[in-house]
Amino acid sequence: MAVLNNPIVAVIVSLIISVGYFLAVDHFMMDMQGLDFWYLFRQ
Amino acid sequence: MGRVIGKRLFSIMALCAMVGLLLLPIVVALPSLALGEEATAGGAKKEGATVEKGRDVYYKTEGVVVGAPAPKTTDGPKDYPRYNFESRVLLWFANQQHLYYGSFVLAVPIFCMIIEFMGVVTKDKALAKRYDQLAYDFIKISLTAYSLTAVLGGILIFTFLTLYPAFFSYLSSVFRPVMHIYALMFVAESGTLYIYYYGWDKMKEGFLKWIHLSMSVVLNIIGTLLMFLANSWIGFMMSPAGVDEQGRYLGNIWHVIHTALWNPLNLHRILGNMAFGGGVVAAYAAYKFLAAKTDEDRAHYDWMGYIAMALGVAFLIPLPFAGYWLMREVYAYRQQMGITLMGGLLAWLFIIQATMIGILFLSTNYYLWQAMGRMRGAEKYQRYIKYLVFLLACGYMVFITPHTMVMTPAELKAMGGQQHPVLGNYGVMSAKNGGINVIITTTVLSFVWYMRGNKVSTVSWAKFGNIFMGVFFTCAYFNIIGLAVYGYYIPANVRVGLSVPQVTTTLSCLFFMFALNSMMMKGAKQMGPIEWGKISARSQYALIMLATAFTWMMGLMGYIRSSVRLFWHVNEIMRDNSPWAYTHTVGFAANMISANVLFFWISILFVFWLGSLTAKKAPAEVKVAVPGSVPQPVGSH
Repeated sequence: MAVLNNPIVAVIVSLIISVGYFLAVDHFMMDMQGLDFWYLFRQ
Repeated sequence: MGRVIGKRLFSIMALCAMVGLLLLPIVVALPSLALGEEATAGGAKKEGATVEKGRDVYYKTEGVVVGAPAPKTTDGPKDYPRYNFESRVLLWFANQQHLYYGSFVLAVPIFCMIIEFMGVVTKDKALAKRYDQLAYDFIKISLTAYSLTAVLGGILIFTFLTLYPAFFSYLSSVFRPVMHIYALMFVAESGTLYIYYYGWDKMKEGFLKWIHLSMSVVLNIIGTLLMFLANSWIGFMMSPAGVDEQGRYLGNIWHVIHTALWNPLNLHRILGNMAFGGGVVAAYAAYKFLAAKTDEDRAHYDWMGYIAMALGVAFLIPLPFAGYWLMREVYAYRQQMGITLMGGLLAWLFIIQATMIGILFLSTNYYLWQAMGRMRGAEKYQRYIKYLVFLLACGYMVFITPHTMVMTPAELKAMGGQQHPVLGNYGVMSAKNGGINVIITTTVLSFVWYMRGNKVSTVSWAKFGNIFMGVFFTCAYFNIIGLAVYGYYIPANVRVGLSVPQVTTTLSCLFFMFALNSMMMKGAKQMGPIEWGKISARSQYALIMLATAFTWMMGLMGYIRSSVRLFWHVNEIMRDNSPWAYTHTVGFAANMISANVLFFWISILFVFWLGSLTAKKAPAEVKVAVPGSVPQPVGSH
């Protein structure tokens, strides 16, 4: 836990969790509606 | 001992009476519904081969025709008797006032239930007493309003009978199987409310308090069912079901009630009522705060205003999402109806609606920032508020930008089209979804700051928690805005789905960050107590602004929902042939809504004044009960 209180580590860990979480939200919420979130990148 | 048992017995009997009142309409309805079925079946047997069948306009099922067709009205004294005035305006006024008061008296008991429950489960006895007094204050306000609601309901029925007899007769004939249930529900609601209110003092401790709390649950179930039934009428008028194309009732009352828009309307109205009720009580508290002569009173009403505002906003936050669901169902039911609402005749009213929603959130944020002033330690957030103002202002400006402008031909020519080359880009749903989600996320952030204003976290992972919270909010903003921008680069059929991840992002901030904040603030070090009453007068005007904006917006949305039927009493079933079957100008509608809002606030001030008369009679008793209590309110009623 002490390592996590290091600001740099905390920012990196937080970024990984947050970015991963929001990308998952975007992907699955679109998929749930039968839509493709990555539409533009597949063109 | 005998007295205690007697009281218990009395309380249980009162609760049973309430449950009995709740079940009474259903029990009374059962034989009549059964009789109705028998009558239909008997009638069918008698008629033999001449039984006529119809096809449900919505469910597409076949049923035996049991009702008369919708009347084909003509403009004249028979179908549209009138005074020398526009009948629609009179009905609009009666309907709107009844709805305002109805919403208020249905919302306040829900607040009472929540606050009373908080009082029961709170271990701090002084705080429990305060919650209990607050719940009592709430119900006291709603009691006078309740009588007025009933009076306005009566006026509404007379207005219908006098000015629109043909339409009212048709609607009541379709809903005949449940009309008496509605009336009985109303009786049950009244009986329950009075037992709940007058039993407060008799059941204030221990087991009896739980019985009293259970009564509030029964009261709210009745109130909610009552509202659902009333919603089924407007649902039927917008998206009829259970009748054939001539409007003949096909014998299935559930189909008539459970129309395409019934459930979205139910959810939207419950949330709307709660937000509105919270706003009105907060305005009441603000008014009492501004008029208070002592510090004790100021402390009490400051606290009351905060609780009412917090409850109101808690229901305001999911309200736009419920609105999206309603609109989605409208589009699914009739695409043309959705286009009339959002992209056609009524689209400008949605710009006004967006403006009002923005004002609601701006007022809430402003109040919270002001409220931080009564906490020692909250100064550390003051310097960041300007960034929140920036985010809110950007979100708000995008949210209220219209797609096209109203212009003179010269202006049109100068601009090269109806769309502004830059601002026109913000007038689309992709940008607007981004705008409102930024506004709501910022409000969540303001709430988080407020909740931790005078506290310093003492958990070992506090530093990580703070950084994580900051990063999570930043990523949420990037995600919301990123999705809004992404929407410009993909086709409309894919873009339409982006609102769901945007909403999920906002709700993630709400639930996860509130939970994280609560975990971090467990056992936190307090920088000082919240000094209730030490808040600027400006904050109280923000509460009044909040309540007025709620009232205005409710009037506006009611008008939009009603006028989308255009020239139909019952959409595609019964045509409105009165001379007023046209859509008013935006200016006229706005004036009418303002007049309704003004009347409501003048009349509710009268209700508040009546409430203060009973309070003035009580002080001798009150002072004896809790002498010299500082922010704590009295313990007796």
